[in-house]
Amino acid sequence: MSWHVPEEDLRAYARGELAAPALWSADAHLTSCARCRGALAYVSDPVALDAGWDRLDAELDAPRTGILERLLVRAGVPGHTARLLAATPVLRRSWLGAVVAVLLLSVAAGHSVRTGEFPTLFLALAPLLPLAGVALSYGPALDPTYEMAVVAPTHGFRLLMIRTVAVLAVVLALNGLATLALPAYGLRALAWLLPGLALTATGLALTPRLGPVLAPSLVGGAWAGLLLTADALRAGADVPLAPFTAAGQGVAAVVAALAAGLLFLLRDRFDLFQGRAV
Amino acid sequence: MTPTVSASGLSLRYGGTRALDDVSLRLTAGVTGLLGPNGAGKTTLLRVLATALPADRGTFTVLGHDPATARGRQEVRRRLGYLPQTPGFHPDFTAFEFVDYVAILKEMTDRGVRHREVRRVLDEAGLADVRGKRIRKLSGGMRQRVALGAALVGDPGFLVLDEPTVGLDPEQRMRFRELIAGAGEGRTVLLSTHQTEDVAMLCHRVLVMAGGRVRFEGTPAELTARAAGRVWSSAERDPGAKAGWRTGTGSFRNLGDPPAGADLLEPTLEDGYLLTLDGAGAEVAA
Repeated sequence: MSWHVPEEDLRAYARGELAAPALWSADAHLTSCARCRGALAYVSDPVALDAGWDRLDAELDAPRTGILERLLVRAGVPGHTARLLAATPVLRRSWLGAVVAVLLLSVAAGHSVRTGEFPTLFLALAPLLPLAGVALSYGPALDPTYEMAVVAPTHGFRLLMIRTVAVLAVVLALNGLATLALPAYGLRALAWLLPGLALTATGLALTPRLGPVLAPSLVGGAWAGLLLTADALRAGADVPLAPFTAAGQGVAAVVAALAAGLLFLLRDRFDLFQGRAV
Repeated sequence: MTPTVSASGLSLRYGGTRALDDVSLRLTAGVTGLLGPNGAGKTTLLRVLATALPADRGTFTVLGHDPATARGRQEVRRRLGYLPQTPGFHPDFTAFEFVDYVAILKEMTDRGVRHREVRRVLDEAGLADVRGKRIRKLSGGMRQRVALGAALVGDPGFLVLDEPTVGLDPEQRMRFRELIAGAGEGRTVLLSTHQTEDVAMLCHRVLVMAGGRVRFEGTPAELTARAAGRVWSSAERDPGAKAGWRTGTGSFRNLGDPPAGADLLEPTLEDGYLLTLDGAGAEVAA
């Protein structure tokens, strides 16, 4: 065994003052290293040592942190928040695979069916992905632990925001990578971003009133209706659809800001059960 | 005895359905049973008392805290353990990981303290040997115990259990009853159940609900006493009985107003429950 817990860390460990992730390394190492356990006994007072053994005992059953959780902790996210993020239902391989598949298809369509100056199919689909991702990350029908979570002292809006940020970070990053695969369109390929934020914020803001399934469904439907209407009204195939013009982007930014404000005003509504029971 | 939970005039409507209708109650330390047919309003009452649903009218306090305010609601939740009717699990979690996740939701941010607490409640739920096993590989009874362990995190003063023994085989049910009895020592437990045996074996008080209202509140012995002199045996089903069924001996056990000279039987808690439902206008299924 080439690495051992530094004596300074052992002293901090014995005092219960060693912080993660060094604490986790020490916990894991001490279970298998007699030399470090001996050194720990040497630097510890008996009471602190007993507490240390108790903690070590508990660590033997501790969850193994996944790659995502470890990355989050390395990035400075507190361990307990990283755990909540890692448990977000949609941040699983199956859902991420579906997102990647949709993006690949829409990017491929952008390359092979190039009609005009805008990758319209990609721009139409990309804003729906964060909306769907956030909608699938909470609610009684979609989160198996929803009912236990809603009566926990952690505020429902805080949990919602933690998951929303996680989903947005992942989906927007994937959308961004897909945008890089469409270099011929330049910055125009980024015209999905503001509509995506507007749809997501509107879906969340309507949830307390319409529920976590109907609200995003209606918002997604409204987006499809808007695009079909814009397509029917546009002057020619080379003209961008209205939502992807400068004016349309401005409207999307305003809608996103208004919906975010409404969502903040309604934050306490996420602290209560959104379902029925008799 | 100071009540842990004190509720007055709780009412809640869903569209045209009156799910709770002027419910008042007082819960003290020990296990209180909540009996009632499907649709009686039991789950709604539990969700209101667990602060998941707000009542349209009425007030209640839990351990002196009023959940009508955001601050009061959070204080109640810090003292609450809740096992829902169909507890959900992240399928890839182990028992330890699931309870650890719930402990984080219960504001246990210190990893070492949290993990010791997770071990404690899993030991209390009799799951020490399966801590590292994935939940999808556990039996139904084991999963219920994992959910109970999650509800016990933080040593809550008020424990709400919504039909925890449904779907368990007799041995699992007996084991679960032992756990509930242990959990009821020194804390207040509200146990919703369809099983009158659960109430007879575990509860010091019992509530009977029907149509969104509390139809009975008292001790199990008092509920049983409601059927005194109203249970009788006959060779054939008595047409005057409100309910009757053939027993294993071949004779009929009848409930209602017995005819003169009837062969009266010793009443059970279930007899008292069924007659209470009949008095409330609910269907007596027997």
